[in-house]
Amino acid sequence: MYELFFKSLNEKIALTKEEEEIIKSYLTPKKLRKKQYLLQAGDVCKAIAFVEKGTLRAYSTDEKGNEHIIQFALEGWTISDLYSFITGEPAQYHIDALEDSEIVLITKSAQDEILKRVPKYETYTRMQLTGAYMAMQRRLTSIISLPVEERYIQFISIYPDIAQRVPQHMIASYMGLKPETLSRIRKKIASK
Amino acid sequence: MQTKQTVSIIGSTGNMGSAIARSLAKGNYRLLLLSGPNNTADSLADEIKSLNPGAEVESIDCCYNASWEADIIILAIPFGEEFAMAEKIREVANQKIVISIANPLNGTYDGLSTSPDTSAAEQLQKLLPNSKVVKAFNTSFSTNFNQPVLAGKQTDAFIAGDDEEALNLVSDLVETTGFNPLIAGPLSMSRTLEGMQLLLVQLNIKNEYNWQAGWKILHN
Ligand SMILES: NC(=O)c1ccc[n+]([C@@H]2O[C@H](COP(=O)([O-])OP(=O)(O)OC[C@H]3O[C@@H](n4cnc5c(N)ncnc54)[C@H](OP(=O)(O)O)[C@@H]3O)[C@@H](O)[C@H]2O)c1
Repeated sequence: MYELFFKSLNEKIALTKEEEEIIKSYLTPKKLRKKQYLLQAGDVCKAIAFVEKGTLRAYSTDEKGNEHIIQFALEGWTISDLYSFITGEPAQYHIDALEDSEIVLITKSAQDEILKRVPKYETYTRMQLTGAYMAMQRRLTSIISLPVEERYIQFISIYPDIAQRVPQHMIASYMGLKPETLSRIRKKIASK
Repeated sequence: MQTKQTVSIIGSTGNMGSAIARSLAKGNYRLLLLSGPNNTADSLADEIKSLNPGAEVESIDCCYNASWEADIIILAIPFGEEFAMAEKIREVANQKIVISIANPLNGTYDGLSTSPDTSAAEQLQKLLPNSKVVKAFNTSFSTNFNQPVLAGKQTDAFIAGDDEEALNLVSDLVETTGFNPLIAGPLSMSRTLEGMQLLLVQLNIKNEYNWQAGWKILHN
């Protein structure tokens, strides 16, 4: 239920058994069915979700109802509407499950308590946030400066498992492309 | 809140469980219905779905999995069964809201089986130390869910607990069922709430209210 979560923690900060038990007491285990929402835009994002099993995505919708995917989260990743989580303002993103999933939720108050009782958890959260920030920078650079074909090649080389598990129309949405455009690009690459 | 909360009702085939399930199906909740070991909640789920075509309701066998999926767990089983049930769901109920509706009445309905310095809700909290136990629905008869208005007044439903956010979420849930939610105080207030229902049961028997009686705080 928490295997990957503690593996990820222990890779960054070695925990004693006692510290693990303290942290465990603040975690909320949760299962989601495919297509079930964890969060809908407009609600406050109360927790950061760590994916133990399955895949989740975060996306916004425009006035026409088009979905714009901002992030996927596979096993071992975290996902949230960070702005809403930190500020307590309504979330801008929806988060739902693309497969039946098992997640671990860390609520704001749980995080505060963990930080008080296991101070080195701070190092973990900092490393998580730094990682997310770097990924975001890379994604932004790719969107504003690379030709689409190279963007796609970069995406599948960095995230081969997402490319395999997520339907193409969602990858198109993540890349800001129409599904037809993505399919054309893939054909072009395949024919090279 | 727009995001549907998943509510698991353990003991949904009973008087209280089925009444709560039927009324929550009208709100923005996803319901997982459980029965005891020798029964199923299939027909209740079918009945609710036919009455509320939009409702997300499902009968499920395993209380561990249902509690794992749940945001809120309602224990609608007899008080005596709660100890074993708490053991089964403890791990997956971690940090979740668990609603205690039990009234620990003795076999002759003239006293409580708990000692005066505790309550069914506090005992459950001891068994589930990392869950947010909230007392609710215990001061209403199952027969009142059809008609939460008695003598022209919307009946009050008292809520007690130690976690403010949990109290607010349970308050919304109680409101969905048509009762007037009233936060009574910390979880230890459950001693009074459970005692109030003992009194109501006794008055009901003595005065033949026919289970059509409830609590209302009158105020100006
Ligand atoms: N009745 C009321 O008006 C009222 C009012 C306030 C509070 N309460 C409280 O509500 C609770 C339920 O009362 P009730 O009148 O609804 O009782 P009930 O009609 O006898 O229902 C009990 C429910 O619990 C289930 N159950 C029994 N043992 C179980 C076990 N070991 N594991 C899983 N499920 C089990 C039963 O399943 P099966 O269908 O499979 O037997 C049934 O669904 C009690 O704690 C009571 O104090 C009742």
